[in-house]
Amino acid sequence: MNIMTIIGMLLTSLGALFLLLGAIGIVRMPDMYTRMQAGTKATTLGAMSFILGIGFMEPAWLIKTILIVVFIALSNPISSHALARAAHRSGIFPLSRENIDLYKKDNQEDKS
Amino acid sequence: MILLQWTLTPELLYQAGTGILLFLLVVAAIFSVVQKDLLMAIVGTSLVSLILSVLFLLLHAPDVALTEAAIGVALTTAIFLIALRKTGRYEE
Amino acid sequence: MKKLLAAFLLGFIGYYLYTAFAGVPFGENKMEVGKDYLETTVPKTGAVNTVTSIVVNYRGFDTLGEVTVLFLAATGLGAILFGMKGKPEDKHREPSSILTTGAKALFPIIVLLGAYIFIHGHLTPGGGFQGGTIIATGVLILILGIKSFHANHALLSVMESLAGITFVVAGILGLAFGKNFLENILPLGTPGQVLSAGIIPIIYIAVGFKVGAELAGVLDTLMSTTRGEE
Repeated sequence: MNIMTIIGMLLTSLGALFLLLGAIGIVRMPDMYTRMQAGTKATTLGAMSFILGIGFMEPAWLIKTILIVVFIALSNPISSHALARAAHRSGIFPLSRENIDLYKKDNQEDKS
Repeated sequence: MILLQWTLTPELLYQAGTGILLFLLVVAAIFSVVQKDLLMAIVGTSLVSLILSVLFLLLHAPDVALTEAAIGVALTTAIFLIALRKTGRYEE
Repeated sequence: MKKLLAAFLLGFIGYYLYTAFAGVPFGENKMEVGKDYLETTVPKTGAVNTVTSIVVNYRGFDTLGEVTVLFLAATGLGAILFGMKGKPEDKHREPSSILTTGAKALFPIIVLLGAYIFIHGHLTPGGGFQGGTIIATGVLILILGIKSFHANHALLSVMESLAGITFVVAGILGLAFGKNFLENILPLGTPGQVLSAGIIPIIYIAVGFKVGAELAGVLDTLMSTTRGEE
């Protein structure tokens, strides 16, 4: 067992941990935006470190896994942004006592 | 490595994974048939395609898995959603 | 009563299906045809991926038919939706600037992936249909992400026609220099390299372009028209 395999195992364990945390967050969080935060941020990091860990365990696949990680880093935040924006547009508002909605304030003139 | 070997053999994991995925496949299919909200029904069919694609991959058919992932998950869902946008969301 | 009958019928069919398939071993003890394909396909066609060699070489004529069916579907959709004007989008549906930038950044990567999949169709899983579909999803991201995006239908139809002509010409060359339509007349090369397997990569690249152009055209037609007046 060389150093690459150990790094790979650590990374896959970290990824599995973050995926688990994301799953728990989806179940436990109160409203849609916080749930989506758990479902996108945690799973993005989880999937990235999991795939990178597999790349470290099999050094022949390392370049391909790095490409996949770059692709996830590019595409996943954009899709979650689009999802949150669509939710806001269709009238789901954050569940908070203070009623802070900066997005609405910023786009006040657009809404008309 | 040795710690894992006494209970989790690869065959057992493979069979358990296949069984769970088959169960989820049936659940998602029933969900998409029963649902009155057509948007949720489309999400259900997309879920069916996703699970089916993972199942094809597990059953050593990567070609079919790629086809299912590209056509079933992405394109069919997109076309359904466009059609839904032009018509109505709820089933009468 | 009706549901009970349906459940009974389902159970009946399920039981007999189970008894019929319980004795068939899965994944082993292959049939004669499958065994023959698996053993002889690499020396005969030069393609490492057996599925591709069957789809394009042994059953190439069926693939031509499939491509034609897809072409007919796209043309029929265009004919039905021809002349329908889209209504102007309301302002709430405009994509944000993050989405526009992301779509522009992601589109080349997705097209590259699709091209990789159909160029390497004879080596790795995938092929023309899958690669073309992936390219079409890239175009879908552009359509969704950029506000005033319209696909260039003239370019798409030129690409599609050229790809179709390439497929048919490859078949006719097989008829001219060999014995059969779509015969593999080019040298097979060493299996496992990109330039191998005779006409299989050429046909799959043509199929990839054709499917990608057709599906992109279908998506753009669907997105830019509405159901019209009621």
